[in-house]
Amino acid sequence: MAASASSMSTVREDRIMKRVFLSPAVVILLALSIFPLLWSLGISFTDMQRGGSTIARQAAAEGIESGVGFLGLGFELTGRNYERLLGDTRLHSTVRNTMIYVFFGVCIQYIIGLGLATVLNQPFRGRNIVRVIFLMPMMMTPVAAAYTGRMFFDSNPLRSPLAHFLREAGKAIGLERGISVPWFTDLSWAPVAILIIDAWQWIPFMTLILLAGMQAIPEDIYEAARVDGANVMQIFARVTLPILLPISLTVILIRGLEIFKIIDVIVVTTGGGPGSATESLTLYIFEQALSNGNYGYASAIAYVLLVLVIIFATIFLATGRRLGGLRAD
Amino acid sequence: MAKKAKSKRRNWRSSRRPLWQSALLYAIVVLWCFIVLFPFYWLGTTSVKRPIDVSRGPKYIPYRDFQPIPDHWDEMFGSQRESTERHFRNSLVSAIGSTILSVIIGAMAGYGLSRFRYFWGRLGWDNDNIAFWIISQRFLPPAIFIVPFLLLYNFFGLVDTYPGLILAYTMFNIPFAVWIMRDFFDGLPVDLEESARVDGATRWQAFMRIVLPLSAPGLVAVAIFSFIFAWNEYLFALMLTNYQAITMPVLIAGQNNTRGIEWWFISALTLMAVVPVIIMGLLLERFITRGLTAGAVKG
Repeated sequence: MAASASSMSTVREDRIMKRVFLSPAVVILLALSIFPLLWSLGISFTDMQRGGSTIARQAAAEGIESGVGFLGLGFELTGRNYERLLGDTRLHSTVRNTMIYVFFGVCIQYIIGLGLATVLNQPFRGRNIVRVIFLMPMMMTPVAAAYTGRMFFDSNPLRSPLAHFLREAGKAIGLERGISVPWFTDLSWAPVAILIIDAWQWIPFMTLILLAGMQAIPEDIYEAARVDGANVMQIFARVTLPILLPISLTVILIRGLEIFKIIDVIVVTTGGGPGSATESLTLYIFEQALSNGNYGYASAIAYVLLVLVIIFATIFLATGRRLGGLRAD
Repeated sequence: MAKKAKSKRRNWRSSRRPLWQSALLYAIVVLWCFIVLFPFYWLGTTSVKRPIDVSRGPKYIPYRDFQPIPDHWDEMFGSQRESTERHFRNSLVSAIGSTILSVIIGAMAGYGLSRFRYFWGRLGWDNDNIAFWIISQRFLPPAIFIVPFLLLYNFFGLVDTYPGLILAYTMFNIPFAVWIMRDFFDGLPVDLEESARVDGATRWQAFMRIVLPLSAPGLVAVAIFSFIFAWNEYLFALMLTNYQAITMPVLIAGQNNTRGIEWWFISALTLMAVVPVIIMGLLLERFITRGLTAGAVKG
């Protein structure tokens, strides 16, 4: 009797407790993530600006009392922000820049990360220390990494060790004035510098996860391949890579989604320049919202970014599911 | 684990690599260590250089190429002390506050998703859907929150306050925290909790006294990630603070405008912001690996 009574009460208790456990997280996400998400969709259809909307201000100037509310309420709906998107060349260049960062960033980081993971997967003396050293850039404040990058990509060989090295290396191969790269002042080099800084910081992430994936591959599989007479390259291409495919897609997805958010490195190094050659979408949205106070338009651009992110993620999740490895639960 | 390490070591002795492979391996390792470490070395040396040594260099080796001076560090802890301390404290408070909240809320939700069966009838979502929804929040571009957060924070008077920053960072950290903790609890046997509950413990007691102590590694992983994220975060700190609550990254990024580029001082400040986190990260490296690979690798 006692046992059944207690189990009755535990069942009832669990019915309450399961809500208690999950609710705080769900409430916070609903309040601070889903609500702002929907709200900014609403704002993107208004002409809201810092201090009110243009329509409301015009009305006030003409002495007409209009129902100006706060929090985006009481604004007239308009599709103008989305029309404006089409003709905004600066926006188009920021979209292109962001895509470039994502595509090349992911490629560089994955390839080098995979290479380093392969190296770290070999047994050698001092491997544990090396593995820890490899992790260091990941923990650095991105702003700090950007400043460090800025010191290195200074084109003045008197200030930057990299410029110094390139000059000497250039001289060594017979170029009279050495190699000089106008990192931050040239339209096509500036994004390269930013890609390198981001790669320096995040290659460790790729390495770490791919290494974990490699270490989870049982030794017998390699043994079997070796018995069949496969050489190192064949084993890598036919055994390691296919097994790593799901995890590769996962890290590429995660890094890609992170690069979509890039802003701090750009703010510190180029501020988006020269022109808007390095400006990312996030930076542009920030400028529109904070510097220009165009809340409505900034929200509309943010939705462009969101759509790009969703397309990117969907393609990856679909590919992963087709290949049958990616855990999308 | 020990067995694995042993077999690896035997493998290293038995299957001799050709010499060129070993040479290549060490060359890559040394090169990459150099690429990783040299920037830190450069920050360190720049922070003790005279301005002239920075602009008319590059000077590489202290005492040989240049005479190191402690002036910039003195300045940071002397005339700039109030500023340094305030920004450091702001970073610390917002990072620790959001870490504590993320760990608690993340562990609770992770436990719930691991041990109970949910079904959100209207959406037709079960545990996996809910977990996916939660983790997907982590990947929303923060840019989309800029405008609503500005309005909300102004309305509630949260701009430039600790609670404001802590709340924002907690929101960003929760998805990852839930993800890691759910994965961790999934790997934890239920028997212990169940026997405790047979002995009369409530669900909450079982969670607090039995489950949490066993989950220390997962909790540490979540704590490190939350802390590093909040410590390094820039966009929201920039947006939601103006004076009182400005954090280290915003301070560093702002050196650009306020003082001109004083590389020596920036380097000292940067090290001040970076070194504590890196030391912590290196000491707890195995937890990081574990947390990052949670869910990603099924061994």
